[in-house]
Amino acid sequence: MAMSKRKRARVVRGVQYGILVAVILVVALTANWTKIRTTFFDLEVAGDMFPEVITVGLFNTVVYTALGFGFGLGLALVLALMRLSVVRVNRWIAGIYIEFFRGLPALLVILAVGTGIPLAFGTFLDKYVALMIALGIVASAYMAETLRAGIQAVPRGQVEAARSLGMSPGRTMVTIVIPQAFKIILPPLTNELILLTKDSSLALFLGASVSEYELTQFGRVALNESRSLTPVLVAGICYLIITIPLSYLSRYLERRTGGRKLGTPESTEVKA
Amino acid sequence: MTRRPTLRVWALVPALALVLAGCGDDGGDGGGAAGSGGPELVNEGKLTNCTGLPYKPFEYEENGEVIGFDVELVDLIADKLGVEQEIIDTPFDGIQSGADFNSGKCDISAAGMTINDKRKQNIDFSDPYFDATQALVTKKGSGIGDITQLDGKKLGAQNSTTGFDYANENAKGAEIINFEDLGLLLTAVESGQVDAGINDNGVLYDWVKEKTDFEVVKEFDTGEQYGMGVRKGNTALLDVVNEVLAEARSSGEYDRIYEKWFGTKPSAN
Repeated sequence: MAMSKRKRARVVRGVQYGILVAVILVVALTANWTKIRTTFFDLEVAGDMFPEVITVGLFNTVVYTALGFGFGLGLALVLALMRLSVVRVNRWIAGIYIEFFRGLPALLVILAVGTGIPLAFGTFLDKYVALMIALGIVASAYMAETLRAGIQAVPRGQVEAARSLGMSPGRTMVTIVIPQAFKIILPPLTNELILLTKDSSLALFLGASVSEYELTQFGRVALNESRSLTPVLVAGICYLIITIPLSYLSRYLERRTGGRKLGTPESTEVKA
Repeated sequence: MTRRPTLRVWALVPALALVLAGCGDDGGDGGGAAGSGGPELVNEGKLTNCTGLPYKPFEYEENGEVIGFDVELVDLIADKLGVEQEIIDTPFDGIQSGADFNSGKCDISAAGMTINDKRKQNIDFSDPYFDATQALVTKKGSGIGDITQLDGKKLGAQNSTTGFDYANENAKGAEIINFEDLGLLLTAVESGQVDAGINDNGVLYDWVKEKTDFEVVKEFDTGEQYGMGVRKGNTALLDVVNEVLAEARSSGEYDRIYEKWFGTKPSAN
């Protein structure tokens, strides 16, 4: 206990490095590298997946996600406004909706929409429409709360200024508050887009034709044709092609707006 | 400030856990009941069966219990080994690619699985225990009588099955929709998401017994035979499986189980 603070810090650092090296060594020595290489990095298998993994798999993943996100954002905006509504029933409905769908796994929502709606109403439901609705519902529950927070984060002075210029409450909301709210919540919305990209993999449970495969299903079908797990790895890398740039974008947006509330000169000092 | 180094030490806990987990894994590698002289099992005292639910009447869940034709046959094998059967519900691609066996997830797979060359590359099969063909199911009055009449229509098939392969070869004009399991496929047939479905005759005949709006309109003489799968090279277990199947056939036990699940005696061949 007679160690100086600096010495103790050095020991702690040494122990951390030591454990890190030990973990790496244990993994490196116990793993069967030849097996890992043939299981995950079979270049021939990977080569066979191109270009369809991009033109079909990645493409459909992006399309499903974009449809769901667009629909969900619209729905979320309505829900957020209902949540802030002066009509109590509207607030209730929005609140119940959000709690309900935020608490359900995305898979259940997709199955309920994709197989439940056609069964209940005896109609044919296009896969793209089904996914747009299902992923939209999943995303909207989260985004509604984000949007509500964003709307409430717009400084009160903005509303007061707009109102004193003679704008109606509705016009104030549409032209003054909502645009600024979106600017505030861009980073969390980007994160939601990343989550939704991954959730779109659940589309495989609705069944798909060859041209409708998204990345996960594409990878799994390719898995049937090969002995190795390489298709899973290739599909995984394709997800990262979408998600890593998005997370960088999210961080950039966060930095740009970070710690600063828009439109209030007194709060522009850097906090972060 | 004096407390900070202590706090940092906590950051090591996850790393330490990793090390321990790594060691544990290392030690547990040689597990299995090797001492009794019987085949080694991935879980001591249990015959772990990987199958894909639902596949009625071969394996499906009823009142919280997995039952069916396959399940009873595997019970016979488990009895022979003096262990209990444990059933794991898993996607079919993991079974037929051999991944579930190689990763030590299960010992055997009785999953209404047709013996074919593609699968033989990855797993070893028991002697055949059931004859099957592919069949087409559709709504009554749909006018669809054969797989060739599906041009421009949607045909549902199950991922990694022989029916899926058959559809791809023989229903060139149809749009083939790939479903994860039999339950999702049949739901899509029922809800009209697809115009027809292809799968093994046994399960489809069982389904139309309940869904009287639907009928099996055609069987394709694909001459398939089901076999139970084991890890490639696991002859010790395979020998037991084949022995039990042969005994069940000669003792009449097989016929009894067959009649229980299909309502008829097996045709003599």
